[in-house]
Order: sequence, then C-alpha cells, then structure tokens
Amino acid sequence: MKLFLSGNEAIAFGLVEAGVRFISGYPGTPSSEILPTAIELKRKYKINAYFEWSVNEKSAMEEVTAASYANIKSAVTFKQVGLNVAMDPFMNTAIVGTPGGLVVVSADDPGPHSSQTEQDSRFLAFFAKIPVLDPSTPKEAYEFSKDAVNLSREFEIPVMLRTTTRISHSREDIETGEFNFKDDTAVNFNKNTDRFAATPHFRYLLHKTLNEKIEKIRQKNDFKEYFDGDFLIITSGVSFAYICDIVEEYNLEGVVKVIKFDMPYPINFDNLQKKIGGHSNILVIEESYPVIEMQVKNRENVSGRLNGFVPNEGELTLDVIKELFFKCGIIKERKEKSIVAPPFKRPSLCPGCGHRSAFYAIKKVFKNKAIYTGDIGCYTLGLNLKAVDTVHCMGASVSFAFGFDKSFSTFGSKMPVVATIGDSTFFHSGITPLVNAIHNRASFLLVILDNATVAMTGNQKTPQDKTDSYNNTANAVGIENVVKGVGVEFVETEDAYNIDSVTDILSKAKEYILKSSKPAVVILKHPCVYTKEGLKENIRFEKVFVDKDMCEGCKVCIDNFECPSLIFKDSVVEIDRSTCINCGQCVVSCPLGAIKVKE
Amino acid sequence: MKLVILGVGGMGAISLSKILARVAINKNLTVKSTEIHGMAKKGGLVEIYMKIGEGASPYIPQKEADFCIVLERLYYDYALNLVKSPEGIILLKDDDKVKILKEFGDIRFANSFILGKFFKKQNIFDRKDAVGVLSAFKMPDKNIKAFYEGVK
Ligand code: SF4
Ligand code: SF4
Repeated sequence: MKLFLSGNEAIAFGLVEAGVRFISGYPGTPSSEILPTAIELKRKYKINAYFEWSVNEKSAMEEVTAASYANIKSAVTFKQVGLNVAMDPFMNTAIVGTPGGLVVVSADDPGPHSSQTEQDSRFLAFFAKIPVLDPSTPKEAYEFSKDAVNLSREFEIPVMLRTTTRISHSREDIETGEFNFKDDTAVNFNKNTDRFAATPHFRYLLHKTLNEKIEKIRQKNDFKEYFDGDFLIITSGVSFAYICDIVEEYNLEGVVKVIKFDMPYPINFDNLQKKIGGHSNILVIEESYPVIEMQVKNRENVSGRLNGFVPNEGELTLDVIKELFFKCGIIKERKEKSIVAPPFKRPSLCPGCGHRSAFYAIKKVFKNKAIYTGDIGCYTLGLNLKAVDTVHCMGASVSFAFGFDKSFSTFGSKMPVVATIGDSTFFHSGITPLVNAIHNRASFLLVILDNATVAMTGNQKTPQDKTDSYNNTANAVGIENVVKGVGVEFVETEDAYNIDSVTDILSKAKEYILKSSKPAVVILKHPCVYTKEGLKENIRFEKVFVDKDMCEGCKVCIDNFECPSLIFKDSVVEIDRSTCINCGQCVVSCPLGAIKVKE
Repeated sequence: MKLVILGVGGMGAISLSKILARVAINKNLTVKSTEIHGMAKKGGLVEIYMKIGEGASPYIPQKEADFCIVLERLYYDYALNLVKSPEGIILLKDDDKVKILKEFGDIRFANSFILGKFFKKQNIFDRKDAVGVLSAFKMPDKNIKAFYEGVK
C-alpha cells in the first residue's frame, strides 16, 4: 500500500512494523507527531502495546530503558533539547546496553525554527558511543527506523535515529508493508546485578563491552557511492537529497563523486581513508555539526566546517549548498537571484488566549518594576506584552526566579520577581526548583498558566487530565495539591478571564512576597481556545466592536493588550472580524471605553 | 512538476497538498512535499513545496516553481518570487470565495474549486484523475461540482 507519509509518521510506521511495543516521549517540535501516529496505529490495528506520553524526557528515557531490560522492543521520542534533559539515563543506558532493543529518536532543528539551540544529536550519539542513523528522506526514515530496531536488538545497544525538521515535516509516497503487526514480544527480566546495578568499581567492564560493540558496528559500517567525478563530497542526512537535486540541475554526474553515510557514527576510518586518498579536493557537507568530518583521519585536502569553508551556524539549505559549490568551483555559473522573504507577521498569542489576559493583569500590578522570568511554551510570547524578560529552558522560570531573588536580596535590595510557566512545563521541570525555593527561603511570585493542554506542540494531554491518549481513565494530578504539598502557603486559583479579580489576587501576592520568605503561587486557569472544546466553551459576546467615534487612535489597546485581531486602520483601531473570537477580553485595555460589546 | 501552495493556518492548504499527492500516487508518479510550518497555528503563512515525478528533495528554489496556488491574496506578490513566470500563479480570488460560499455553503469547497483551476493549467493529469480522488470524499457530488466550477 502506498501512503503519503510525513517523516514523523514514517518513523512511527517503521518502529511499529519492526516490533516496537513500548514507546514513551515528551512533545517538542519537530518530533511531536511520531508518538500520536503510533497511538493511532495501536488503536486502529488493536496492537497490544504501551504507547504514551511521559512527564518529561528523562522519565521517558528511563521508562523505555526498563522496558528494554524486560525484553520489549522499545523507543523514545523527543526533540534535540529533550535529549539534553534525558542525558543522564541516556549515557548510562549506552553503557549497560538494551537487551530488548531501544531506538532513541531525536529530532534536530537546524535553523533553528522552533528551538533554543541548533545542536546536533549525532554528536551526543558519538559522545555516548552508540550508533546513529541519519535519514535523507521520509522514505529512508521509514527504512532506517526498522534498521535501527534490528541493529539495537542484535547488539543490545541503544541506536539513535536522528531526524531534522526538514525530514520530520516533509512528506513522501512510501510503500509500507502489509499491516499484520505480528508479535514476537515476550516479557522477561533476567536479573543480573553485575550489569543492571553495577557498582562504579565494575563499570569499566561494561564500558569495555560497549567499546567492543561499537567497534564491531564500525567494521560493518560502509558508505554508499554515487556519481563519478574527481571532486569528492562526503555527506549524510538531508544534505544528500539537496546535493542530488543540485547534481541533476547542473549535470554534475561526471564532476563530483558523492559518498553517503547512512550511519554517520561510528565510521570505518580506514575504509574512508582509502577511498579519499586519491582525491585532492574533498568537501564534507553534513547538517549541523562536523560529526563525519571529525572522524576523517587525514583532513589535509578536506574542506568543511572545521576549516571554516562551510558556515558553522544556520540551516544548510539547498541554496547554501549551491553557494558552496560555486565557491569551490564545482558550479561555474550561478543563476543570479536574491532570496525574497515572505511578508513577516510577528508571532502572537491566539486571539482570545487566556494567557494574554493573565499577562495583562500581571503587567498592571507589577508594571516595569519587576523581573519577569518566562518559560517554554505558547506563553513565551508574553514577550510581546513585555511581561517576559528571560526564556531559557524547560522549568527555568522557577529556578531563574530563585536566582534573581537571592542575587538581589543578598547583594542589593529586594526585587519583585514574577515567574510564568505553563501547566505541562510545571510538571516537566517546575516542581523541583519550587521545592528548593521553599527549603531555601526564596520569595517570588510563580504564576502557573493552566490551559489544561500542551498547546504549543499540538494539544497533547497533561498529567492533570482525567483521561489518557486513548480517552481511557487516567489519574488526574492536581497542580494545587502539588504546590500546597511542597509547602507553599499563598496559593490562589482563578480564571484568567476574570481580569479584575486576578488583579486583586496578584496585588495581594505582591504584598506577600515582599515580606515573606516563601514563594507565592497563583494558578490562572483558562482552556486553550485553539482546541475545539476550548473554543466551544469559551465565553463570547454576540459582537465586540470599536466605537469609531470614541476611538482616538492612541493604540493603547494594541500596545498593552496586543491581540492580533486589533488592527490600526485609517487612524483608528478596528477589529479583524475574520480572526476575532468575540471574547471581550480587550475591553479593559481601552482607557476611553471605546471597545464595546453587544451581548 | 514543481508546485508551491501558499495559504494561512487552518485554511486547508495541507489537505489540498494531500489530495494532489493522492492523484499523483494513483498515476504512479513519485511525490514529495515539505511544509514550512512557521507560526501557522497563529494565523501565519503556510508554505508547501511539492515535487511530482521528479527530484530527491521536495525543496524548490525561488523562481523555479512551475505553479503556485495562492489561497490568500495577501501572498500574491510573494508568489511572484517563487514561480518561473507569473502565468504559473493560480489565485483564489476574493470573488471566488464569495461565489463558493454562496453556491456550496462552505468555504472548504474552495479546495476542490482551486484544484479545478489548477487542472486547467497543467498537463500531466487528466481531469478524471482528480474526479477519481474526489469521489472518495465525504460529499463527492458537491466536491466534483466545485472542481468543474474551477475548471471552467
Ligand atoms: S494555542 Fe492555545 S495556549 Fe497557545 S496561544 Fe493559542 S490559545 Fe493560547
Ligand atoms: S474580543 Fe478583543 S481580545 Fe477577544 S479576540 Fe476579539 S479583539 Fe481579541
């Protein structure tokens, strides 16, 4: 059957077809669609499997490691920065090995398009001494997922499948196997403390075993060759597909020879050295970091990132590669043209998003006299309301608030600090720093923006949900209970839409943190209006409109409330009917009362 | 064939690309696409590149697309930078939208309509290829009617 699958869908198909029956992960662009596809397959074909989101990547990594100890073919999915969170178990899983087989799918985001870093997960595979497969198309993503499962099972070593935004979010016609997901799963844990609970003294033995495995894989790892010219190009991943397109466009079949690694680590150095020996012009082109390049023994005639020929930052797009080909003389003439960017629209919280109301109230109470520590999620866009000063990594809003509070109170004078974090991010990494704040007497305000979903990455469920991904019963974990349980005394919950009452609560919280030695927590709830249910249940008026005669065009509403449906046109503000959801939240933002509602 | 589709988030640009992919697969042609998601969710531009029957990657450099389907007027000028010649642009006009709403009662039929407009211009598919795919849809009659409205 031929299907038109995205790279992420293809990965899920490949894993499940190869017998993977335990998948965990945490959502993050561009990896988020892998697990839902597996969940869909399980539902549709009634596969006996455990496929479900976890609370964060570290937990997910540990869960699947245990599953592989129990002889289950397993996989974990996250984005590249998620691998950072999972790093601790990841390193040790490599050392101990994975009896049932384990594929680590890490999605990189060169550009970056929606991440903090452009890091290359292949480097971390190198670091952990585990093999990594680097597909160049969705079709290869499908094939390599299956290869990864088999390789992992054979050597009892975790295998990384590295994808990038361009692979994960591209689609291709793919011939999939017949869907008779046959099952060879047999749960079984062979206890062996020398392996699964080794003391440091014996760890070097496990390390030795890992070294032996990776050497065997290195010997087997061969490259593929394409075309037949003098100029040698070494590549892997999506860059290979771009190179093929350029070769075709400029008829370079007799000009270049391309060496492609499906597995960019571990490389068989000697074979590669033999191959490149006779060439005086060698170019290494690989997306992200110089992983293959660093494994080339003699780099005398090699150009790449290490000698600065290939840019060391930014996405390696087809246009960039073309330019490199021109610079080193592979292409003689370039079709002169400048690249035009599409009309830019500043990203903004959705019209009617409860987060906006929350930020508006926060700004009203704390003005420009506080430090605002933000976090990762839609609410990063609190930037637009000047209610976010820092965004770092998952959960850092809380620990940054701690750091700022201690710095100012120790070395200067007390400074109000307001941290904002989403519900899912709070569960992911916000609880531990809150425990530290309680214990070590830091005082700041933590606002938990609770929209009951992981909105940014496609509305996955959070631990607060009463149901799981299959709509079966789950145990809901209440944020309020958690916060009170660790010892926070000032805890208030309100609907973010009730701006007046929220403002009152925030004023009290402000007083509290200035004289207390504990953090205050305010939970502002409002369902994400981007979901069907959220939108349906949202409060709405028949119509929200700007009274043209009263609007003086001061733009105070746009500046302070910044709903994208408020637009400035012909010296007054008007409401864009095609995007406004008539929530009426903007009414308070007009000092003249020109924004009105019709009930 | 190199084709670009420009729309805004939630307007069905992605489903349009999937319909086209189905038509191509049924004709035994290879098909690749890439979605530049951007901030589509927040009402921004959705840019989809498609290659049918050619290429190793779905990426299309500017000025190289044979066709560009523009679902939102706002992006017409940008589309001019993507196509080989302005002839290749297929625009969903504002009057088209009004007409579809009036005749079919739902803007979602715009996809079948613009598909028809595109079919009139290109020469690798027959009209019956599209009709075959559309008949597997929820409201086949209306979709096929909207398609022929576009071909007109
Ligand atoms: S997706 Fe939901 S949470 Fe995110 S900005 Fe839109 S309404 Fe707000
Ligand atoms: S009513 Fe106001 S705040 Fe709500 S969506 Fe419309 S313009 Fe935005």
